[in-house]
Amino acid sequence: MPITKDHQYYDLVVIGGGPAGLTAALYGGRARLKTLVIEKGLIGGLATYTNEIANFPGFPEGITGIELARKFEKQARNFGADFKNTPVKSVDLKGPDKIIETFRVTYHAKAVVIATGGKPRLLGVPSEDKFLYDKGISFCATCDAASCKDKVVMVIGSGDAAVEEGLFLTKFASKVIMSVIHEEGHMDANAAAQADAMREPKLEFRWNTVVDHFEGADRLETVVLKDTRNGELIGVPVDRCFYFIGYLPATELFQGQVELTERGYIPTNTRMQTNLDGVFAAGDVRQTCLRQVATAVGDGAIAGFEAERYIAEMEVFEKELMQRELPGMIYVYSPIDERSRDFLPVVREIERKYAGRVKLSLLDTYKSECLAARLGSVEAPSVVFTQDGKVVGKTRHLEPARIGAALDALVDHREPALAE
Amino acid sequence: MTEKMLDCLGEACPVPLIRTQKALGELAVGDVLVVAIDHSCAMKNIPEWANKEGHNFEIEEVSEGQWEIVIEKSH
Repeated sequence: MPITKDHQYYDLVVIGGGPAGLTAALYGGRARLKTLVIEKGLIGGLATYTNEIANFPGFPEGITGIELARKFEKQARNFGADFKNTPVKSVDLKGPDKIIETFRVTYHAKAVVIATGGKPRLLGVPSEDKFLYDKGISFCATCDAASCKDKVVMVIGSGDAAVEEGLFLTKFASKVIMSVIHEEGHMDANAAAQADAMREPKLEFRWNTVVDHFEGADRLETVVLKDTRNGELIGVPVDRCFYFIGYLPATELFQGQVELTERGYIPTNTRMQTNLDGVFAAGDVRQTCLRQVATAVGDGAIAGFEAERYIAEMEVFEKELMQRELPGMIYVYSPIDERSRDFLPVVREIERKYAGRVKLSLLDTYKSECLAARLGSVEAPSVVFTQDGKVVGKTRHLEPARIGAALDALVDHREPALAE
Repeated sequence: MTEKMLDCLGEACPVPLIRTQKALGELAVGDVLVVAIDHSCAMKNIPEWANKEGHNFEIEEVSEGQWEIVIEKSH
């Protein structure tokens, strides 16, 4: 067992290597951030579970999820992103030094993009846990279809994924039985997929049914369905059962730190910001109305861009605004405000008078809204005073004499007397 | 601590997962199993299984489309 863990430092760590994470890494890398993507399994996320992606723009002939993911990965690598294939064990994202723990390494990042996506939803019925994955219950037709050649399989669900993957399975299996909760002829899938499904002779529908429980010795042998109309139990012998009943957000790692919705998704604003500074969310894990490769890519671009902006602002904030060498005076102004503009020459004059004794910084709230927010509640125009890298006072009374008195106090290491 | 190599190159799902489960079962706690795979499906179900079982692991892509999953038996 490793006793001491290796520490590695990055500007941006992206957790999750699906389309959202890969795009965030591409933007991060291109902005010359030292970027790392951490993914526990196959790069590409949920997209790799789909045989054909027909609605991602730019690929009119369609493309497999794995091929598309390879292209995303290659592009992110071209821009210098690093990759690590291992699960994240825990995170501490609250402070400015974001910590991401893996088995062997502790990663430190200035900003984090959470793009962990979702995991397949389970039914929670008796004996389900005995047969997951290799024991007979599967979530990926692309992965397991080949092992279903000439076998009987069942598909749970009736949405787009269920019907499309069910149709794909008919190319391998001798029979595909679809368990649908709705009345005969009703499915949740799009009309085109439904029409294809009704024409496929290898597809057999069990309408008005839900799974009651599973039976089998070592492997799954029988799915016991329940007729929702009369409660009658129907045992259906199958070789494999595929779930296409949706996904749950993979957010356990972030509980107690990042704000989550009741259903476990991460709420963000339109800039992909979470409730924590420097922590962004993108893709399926985010509270949103559509979860597609195309939307994940858009989220990822914004998250990567915003992460870069956050890091740049952090650096300006720490190295310039909160510098420790001299007492500081920050003039917070807005170029579209007349009072702000009028006082600017006075500020320049003060700067000349205190040259070498006080460091003056200008903060344009129009351009650097987030940076202004970091100073706490300041409205343009106002003046903020700093000493030893801390805000020691601020005022909206723009009187040269009072500002001069405050600066004299700071230069003499006294408390400035200020009226808000 | 011993390290064992398991060659699953050319094998399709679910064979690599089943062989991984069997091979890890024969090792002692703290031992390391290195599974070589080149089917992408095994990159899904082996990490999923190892994660669910609580074994630590890291993956190296040794060349395009070929991986080594390094699993430490934790219980």
